[in-house]
Amino acid sequence: MISTTANRTSALRARPFLGAASVIALFVALWMALVWSPPDAAMGNVVRILYVHVANAWLAYLAFVVVFLASVAYLWTKRPVFDAIAVASAEIGVLFTGLTLVLGSIWARPTWGVWWSWEPRVITTAVMFAMYVGYLLLRNLSEDLERRATRAAILGIVLVVDVPIVHLSVTWMNALHQLPSVLRPDLSPTLDPAMLASLIAMTIAFTFLYAYLMTARVDIEQRRQARLLAVRA
Amino acid sequence: MTLDRIRLIAAREARAERGQPDGIVSAATFVATLILVESLAVGPLAASQPAVASALFWIAMAFAAILATSRSFERELEDDAIDAVLALPGGRDALYAGKAVALTALMALVAVAGGALSLLLLSLDIALPGHLAIVTVAGVLALPPVVVLFVVLALRLRSRGALVPILVLPVLVPQLVAATNGTAAAMSGDMAGAFGWAGLLVAFALVYSVLGLTIVATALE
Repeated sequence: MISTTANRTSALRARPFLGAASVIALFVALWMALVWSPPDAAMGNVVRILYVHVANAWLAYLAFVVVFLASVAYLWTKRPVFDAIAVASAEIGVLFTGLTLVLGSIWARPTWGVWWSWEPRVITTAVMFAMYVGYLLLRNLSEDLERRATRAAILGIVLVVDVPIVHLSVTWMNALHQLPSVLRPDLSPTLDPAMLASLIAMTIAFTFLYAYLMTARVDIEQRRQARLLAVRA
Repeated sequence: MTLDRIRLIAAREARAERGQPDGIVSAATFVATLILVESLAVGPLAASQPAVASALFWIAMAFAAILATSRSFERELEDDAIDAVLALPGGRDALYAGKAVALTALMALVAVAGGALSLLLLSLDIALPGHLAIVTVAGVLALPPVVVLFVVLALRLRSRGALVPILVLPVLVPQLVAATNGTAAAMSGDMAGAFGWAGLLVAFALVYSVLGLTIVATALE
């Protein structure tokens, strides 16, 4: 049995502040990425796509790790709010993984000469995208609230294995994709300081955006849960 | 969960299959058809290349495992036998393990039939038959822990026929890559490569067996 009713959490009250923070942070990050940071010696201005591509990929990782944590918490406590967090994060994760693939493809055309390359990072990211689309499908095909949440939580735990595989794939196999330049084992980023600052600013802005989208989507999911629980009662 | 219960469920599967062998017949026919159709699509010359022949074989095996497992659970659902099994103490873990053991045996038979057909139709040369057998055993072992877990997750869902392959195939990517490369290595005489990929397959099977046994009881609640 789901033992608690779906209540609005205090985090949802922070939504307007998160929205404002996202807009401000995105403006600052875009100025840094497009105006302040220097062009790359080899790639020129094409390098600027890095700031959104990497920030998108970071957000996808974050979203799927949150799915995992919320799934564990749901199985542990059976509180519907964790199921709401898991589905919200999975949807945002799928959206940003899709954008990562599209932006990566746009970046690949001028740098690698092709829109798509069968190289490990690209393939493992595409596989991760397919896995979480499957996760959302599983949820949509299940009508019973509790069973859906339990099944989805199990899948959310199993699928997280792919996140480190995606990140480490470039170090395990010979790849066209460049090696990690920020999250490196020796913790020493290889980027120019201005580029690194711009990338960090964009990542912070995207994280605010993620938090804002999460609060909005969790709210929608909690309302849906409340409606379903009311119908069942 | 006791070994007796696992043996009981695996034996029950074998009895059901002997009485009405639709699981093995459909899986073997499916593998044969897929190998034929895929070989025709890429052309016999390309299909007889070790890497291509191995890939065709293992893709067919993955789909056949999904088909056989789904059929096995359909049989349980048709006569509501699954509820009786789940009511047993430790029945959920035993159901997972028993089904996985039964599916391993069934897929081993399908692998022999499908492998013989591939050898015959594509006139394949095998440089290291012993290594090929090891890779095939490891590849077969790596299929059931994943497939049974995902069929259990999709149990009683509408459109599960379409959902299970969507869920299983991305997770089976390491199995497909390792089995294909290991088989191709054994066919072309790369001893170290065949052993390396077989080791990866065994590790994959172990990880998903442990994961499955840990969480399947919750999935069947």
